[in-house]
Amino acid sequence: MSITIALAGNPNCGKTTLFNEITGSRQHVGNWPGVTVEKKDGIYKKNKDVVIMDLPGTYSLSPYSAEEIVARDYIVKEKPDAVINIVDGTSIERNLYLTMQIMETRIPVVVAMNMMDEVEGRGDRIDCGRLSGLLGIPVIPIVARTGKGLNELMEAAIATAKNRRQPEQPPIFDSQLADAISAIADALGGADSAENNWKAIKLAENDEIIARAVPSDKKGAVEELVKAANKVSDGDAEAKIADSRYRYISKLVKECVKKGSKGSQETRSDKLDKILTNRILALPIFAGIMYLLFACTFSENFLFIPELPSPGVWLAGIVEEACSFVAEGVIGAVEGLGASEWAVGLVSSCLDGVGAVFGFLPLVLVLFLLMSFLEDSGYMARVAFVMDRIFRHFGLSGRSFIPMLMGFGCSVPALMASRTLESDKDRKITMMITPFMSCGAKLPIYAMFAATLFADSNQTMVVFSIYMLGIIVAVLGALILNKFAFKSETSNFIMELPQYRIPTLKSVLIHAWEKVKGFAVKAGTVIFASTVLIWFLSSFNFSGMCDMEESLLASLGNGIKWIFAPLGFGDWRASVGVVTGWIAKENIVATFGQLFGNVSEETVEAVMAGEEALPAITEVFNQVSAYAYMAFNLLCMPCFAAVGAMKREYGSWKWTLRAVGFQMLTAYIVALLINVVGSMIF
Amino acid sequence: MPLAMLMEGETRTITSFNGQEELKRHLQDLGLIKGEKVRVVGENAGGMILMVKGVKVALNRGLAHRIMVED
Repeated sequence: MSITIALAGNPNCGKTTLFNEITGSRQHVGNWPGVTVEKKDGIYKKNKDVVIMDLPGTYSLSPYSAEEIVARDYIVKEKPDAVINIVDGTSIERNLYLTMQIMETRIPVVVAMNMMDEVEGRGDRIDCGRLSGLLGIPVIPIVARTGKGLNELMEAAIATAKNRRQPEQPPIFDSQLADAISAIADALGGADSAENNWKAIKLAENDEIIARAVPSDKKGAVEELVKAANKVSDGDAEAKIADSRYRYISKLVKECVKKGSKGSQETRSDKLDKILTNRILALPIFAGIMYLLFACTFSENFLFIPELPSPGVWLAGIVEEACSFVAEGVIGAVEGLGASEWAVGLVSSCLDGVGAVFGFLPLVLVLFLLMSFLEDSGYMARVAFVMDRIFRHFGLSGRSFIPMLMGFGCSVPALMASRTLESDKDRKITMMITPFMSCGAKLPIYAMFAATLFADSNQTMVVFSIYMLGIIVAVLGALILNKFAFKSETSNFIMELPQYRIPTLKSVLIHAWEKVKGFAVKAGTVIFASTVLIWFLSSFNFSGMCDMEESLLASLGNGIKWIFAPLGFGDWRASVGVVTGWIAKENIVATFGQLFGNVSEETVEAVMAGEEALPAITEVFNQVSAYAYMAFNLLCMPCFAAVGAMKREYGSWKWTLRAVGFQMLTAYIVALLINVVGSMIF
Repeated sequence: MPLAMLMEGETRTITSFNGQEELKRHLQDLGLIKGEKVRVVGENAGGMILMVKGVKVALNRGLAHRIMVED
């Protein structure tokens, strides 16, 4: 018989570290049904009959956020055999608030008193035996980072699960309130049931979800009794209940925690915060750290040393070479087997598609390793606080800054980073506007047009202005979406600033790997399928295999070019370019190379780098329509890899299509304005 | 008076909160309840950092204006 043990605790209490330590690599990551809250489960590495369920980090079991609802529904409805409640010993008072609420559900529970090394480092002492006696549940001191105490913890948890040892309701409430609560429980069907007692407390706390679920024949009586509970609580039972819990906790802490001599001293975290959140220094320091992060991932001249690739670029180069080596081998083998031309074409385009995904992986991996380090260290919470003031002006909270910044590198990891946003509205809006940040793959398009159509002295200005255009449209887009689509006020910013901690290598690696793996699997399938589709469309027409000029893709280009006519580029080749750009934005240059005069691959590479012009495109483009074309490709649907990431993060096609629709519409309007206004001026 | 008026280093006791139920509940969960002593450990133009029950909590000024502390 397998048993299920759930991990519950505040955010930043070391829950994920504990989960990784006790499950090892046997983990499964997914989403809870209906919400984009991460669901993780695993198997205890020392006993495969024990399933460990990692609940989202929560401060309480009241329904404030999606995470809290998920955690509480799991505990109350799924009823795990036992709950391990992880308590951060360095902030024991606040953490025990959740413990009280878990005990109120009367689910068998064990407290894991974590960070005991830091507690001792401060010179404090927590008497876990005494606390266990007072609460009537096991309290096990642990250090999750080093694995200390985990065997004892798991033994206690398994024993508790097997005995189904229910905790007593802690003596939190005064007699008047306790009577009022048990009266509500009676009206629900009997105070002897643990479930009714828990519901009664929640009803007194004004919990809408529980109130809605009360059977209609009992509603009237229950409402009266809830009013009575408020009456004995100076009109606010909810506040009184919260206050009673905290009062009881202070009593516990007074009994069990001995503050050492270093109690009032400034900790290292406090000293760091004096600098990192300083009103003058905070922004420059943050800019420096972000610069380093990007340099490590994308820079070709790392730390300003010419030709020195950054770790990300270096890794990407190795992977690319390995991919092309394998690809050449496979194509050679297929040709050797005497396969027909179209079969070779299909195989090589499939390999290109897969290679494109693998080419991304090292960049994504390095970026996420560094981001995970910053996140796990506690610094990202400070960044959100520092940036909040600026982002508030356009209706977002400071937490949106990080995904948007990453968008300049690559939209795929940027979209994935948006899951750290607390507010659902902020997350949705941020994901819609993040692709407006001009990613690395879009730069070759600007290079091509700048080198061909603009004077040398204006080229830098043209490229820079496109980047600025992306930022301005993103800001305006956020404002408009906030005003008209979401119609909600700017959410308030309130967030715990956890203590700075140096994350363990293991947790950073696992954290980054989870994201990369998801990207490779999910986005990979989208890229792969779309590559095959475009290959098919560009190599065939209804009578069989053909050149691109006569292909289905060309017919498609001719069929849709009228759409782009008002934007100044109603040409089938330009239209096809937009479509191939969805596979990867830099594809546009390769497509143009092929369609405008069949230039060699070396020329295409030189054009991408802005070293050579592609004179044939002047047949179709002038400066105004070229600018409109750049703007359109900057703002329209991002590449399929990014759409795949959007789908994964939104968790629904409905929202993914809405976002793509918004981006398409924005691109069209902006390009139209550029063409109309530009044509009048020039 | 509102919490937002406090200077860095000041400690005061919370007396009430003006705002939605939901937000009030979240503040309670973070330890910001009536009768609790909070200390301002940092501030900038956009918000402030409080020490509540041994934990640092950052919040924007708009919210700090709605939390009342004793005069």
